Amino acid sequence: MAIKTKLSRRNFMKAVAAMGAATFLSTYKSEIVSALKEAGDYWHINWLNGAGCTGCTISFAQAADPDIVEVLTSITVGDSKLPIALPDYMETIHPASGTLAEELKERWAHGEPGKRILIVEGAVQEPGWCEIAGKDFREHLKEAAEIADYIIAFGACACFGGVPSAKGNPTGARGVKDFLKEEGINKTVINLPLCPGHPDHLILTLAAIMLGIIPELDQYGRPKAFFGRSMHDELCVYRPYYDRGIFATKPGEEGCRYKIGCKGPVVHTDCALRKWNNHVSYCVEVGAPCLGCAEPGFPDKFSPFYDEIPGLPKILGISPTTLGELLLVGSGVGIGVHLGKRVLSKGEHEEEEEE
Amino acid sequence: MVKVVVDPVTRIEGHLRIEMDLKDVTTDTGTWQFVDKAYSRGMMFRGFEIFLKGRDPRDAWYLTQRICGVCPAPHAEASIQAIESAFNIVPPPAAVLMRNILHGAYYLYDHMIHTYLLVGPELGILAKYPPMVPPALGKPGVAALGLGSSYVKCIEMQRKANEIVALWGGKFPHHASEYPGGMTVRPTEDRIASTLARMVEIWEFVALTMVKDLMALVEANKALGEKLTELLGVELRGLQDIGVSTGNFLSYGLFPDPETYESDWLEPSKRRNALFVSGAWDGSPKKFREEKVTEHVKYSWYSSSSGHPFEEDTVPDKDKEGAYTWLKAPRYDNKVYEVGPLARMINTFGLKWRIPRVHPITGEDYGDFVYEVQNPNGSVLDRIAARVANALLIANKMFEWINDIKEYKDAPVVNYRDVPDRGEGYGLWEAPRGALGHWLKIKGKKIEHYQAVVPGTWNFSPRDDNGNPGPVETSLECGTTWLPKDLDVPTICNVLYPEEDIDLSPLGINKKVKWGDALATALAPLGLAKLNMEPANGANYNTSIALTIVRSFDPCLGCAIHIIER
Repeated sequence: MAIKTKLSRRNFMKAVAAMGAATFLSTYKSEIVSALKEAGDYWHINWLNGAGCTGCTISFAQAADPDIVEVLTSITVGDSKLPIALPDYMETIHPASGTLAEELKERWAHGEPGKRILIVEGAVQEPGWCEIAGKDFREHLKEAAEIADYIIAFGACACFGGVPSAKGNPTGARGVKDFLKEEGINKTVINLPLCPGHPDHLILTLAAIMLGIIPELDQYGRPKAFFGRSMHDELCVYRPYYDRGIFATKPGEEGCRYKIGCKGPVVHTDCALRKWNNHVSYCVEVGAPCLGCAEPGFPDKFSPFYDEIPGLPKILGISPTTLGELLLVGSGVGIGVHLGKRVLSKGEHEEEEEE
Repeated sequence: MVKVVVDPVTRIEGHLRIEMDLKDVTTDTGTWQFVDKAYSRGMMFRGFEIFLKGRDPRDAWYLTQRICGVCPAPHAEASIQAIESAFNIVPPPAAVLMRNILHGAYYLYDHMIHTYLLVGPELGILAKYPPMVPPALGKPGVAALGLGSSYVKCIEMQRKANEIVALWGGKFPHHASEYPGGMTVRPTEDRIASTLARMVEIWEFVALTMVKDLMALVEANKALGEKLTELLGVELRGLQDIGVSTGNFLSYGLFPDPETYESDWLEPSKRRNALFVSGAWDGSPKKFREEKVTEHVKYSWYSSSSGHPFEEDTVPDKDKEGAYTWLKAPRYDNKVYEVGPLARMINTFGLKWRIPRVHPITGEDYGDFVYEVQNPNGSVLDRIAARVANALLIANKMFEWINDIKEYKDAPVVNYRDVPDRGEGYGLWEAPRGALGHWLKIKGKKIEHYQAVVPGTWNFSPRDDNGNPGPVETSLECGTTWLPKDLDVPTICNVLYPEEDIDLSPLGINKKVKWGDALATALAPLGLAKLNMEPANGANYNTSIALTIVRSFDPCLGCAIHIIER
């Protein structure tokens, strides 16, 4: 069910790239409300937790502007006093436990078609490693995915497997999209990676869905508005160090973090712009390397975390050129030019659709 | 026999299932159903120790944070200290101070969300205390009825606390600024000033609102005890006689003194200069000995022997006969010990606590917070009180650390050392929910062995090799866990609080109703009329008290099951 609004997909991309969540929601609140008044039913959210650490839920609770109480209480459907989006099921903060919690999933399932959102946190494992209410998490996910009108994988684990899928793990952990594909469920999964997922990304994606817009996704299912830009090339404030050849050689020193393992040059995320916890800081700002948690293959592809990126081929067992093609799409100026160590191929910038 | 199951237990971290066998108890007032046997079951396994093997040891502190997104920071700290111990390096005082500030802020967030978002709702309902009930009627309900006022404020304050974590750590959850031998972040003036500004608001929330709410609970608890005694015909003082554990309390110590880090902190049996000291209280203070920690696996899905974390050989076995959980059973000196805020308070201050409340900026004295442990074996009320006391102590101490760090603006923040070829060490720290240890062996510059023994495992452990139930199981089995049969939450509340004194006129409803009826009005539209009711043998059992006991331990199951090695 598409809702007619002034906001096109293209506008949405521009808006969320430029605005904070609060500005965005206040700008489009009247449209969201008027669209929902017609329907008279709120958006039903089913938030499932698989093999994860609950860090994404906690991250969602760090949303500052609006905060989660505002999200859940300040925009109501018509005169019903019911919030536009109410988690029918959300293990970590929902009042209900046990039998009632599971029954409320039914309320979600019987919500108005077109308005049932499934949010998944955590990876999907082989059978037998995660059981909820006497049923394997895989079954819970399959049932919900078949019903869901929209599926959002929130955080690195749900998107691509994340830390539980690290090499050597015994449970066969993987991302939601991969799992659903194996089960023959071919539905769009909106991937919002990072470890944990960023609360702004989730709130803005929910807002977009309520406005009838599916954000434009890249080849890994990530909204381009959030994951379309190279952190190193387009956003990093420490870039001038890099351009002048000033590098931290040990963690704790000042300078570009490349030589202490920063994966910024091969990572697409808006962390450096949006920052975290009410826009206070991000990993690189406290002298640490970027770990690459926005990308598929995290953590193995980027571990050891304190090693330079050229160490990657050793782990992956593939050639640097192939790696360059895989990872360096859009990374701009070759790292080798500055470092005098290795020349990696320069990828082409992806074309923005609808431009 | 009636068996009642709660699965999933919500408002915790992770996947927990609680099974309870009930027994009938007949008193002068009737026949009531109480928990006889209880089984705590952890239902998800990821296998952290397996995939840590063979990695660069410096990666461990990053990866082990992902054991738990509610308490990632403590895992980072236990891990970094284990790495430092294996590397044989000591962080400089500036790094220790910055860690205290980062982790202090983290602690404040964690104690707040647990007190209000996780265990708070049942407490607010049981004690008829609207500020701790979730804001079910939204902002109008907060404004008109005070319904959820503390809950809503907590959302804002926990976020501010985590903004401090992000200032020093880059982001939360999963901060980025530690490094073996110190920190990568520097104590700049803007970080110090931004921390101070946020801490003033946080201090006011902890010292004034949290303490006030606790005192209101303690007061309401007296009436609750009287009414339960009258109703059930069983002598009950209140929440201090509910969820009673063993009286053994273990603490590893928390927040070291930067200047005596080597002589005091690095010897866990000492740790006298830390904000919270180490100890193994069993009715009187005892020194803590690291070598007395073991894990038992008789009732856990592992086909291997029990032992010390350096020696345990553990492999998963999903079909093991008699086993019922992914959790192991950690024991100290082969005995059951409770861990958590209450354990830290009792080991550090004994059974009576006095904490000053002097405003850090204005100097106004709000009077000491004084609390005497109501049940020396541990109880729901004492655990809640200890969490508030922990938060207040830390909120006070934060200003001292922020002041001290100014002296270290130009001091070194890391002592570097290359990854050694071989080494072994452990890091003992405390998560908000209790004692947390990481054990590490390095061989050929790689992780050879990794083991974490975490608070969730201590508290939610199954029966051990000697058949002794874990602390939560013990608490549920203590004899006072009443599961009201066919009495839902509003009905119970109407029985406990029969007076019609909840004024609904601010909501445009011109009448006064009973507490339970007011709750029913709020719960029904949200689909929560059957809150906490579990069906068994054709009846419905109200699990509110059992869930309050479970949540008083601040469950964290992702933590508790992470593990196996070899």
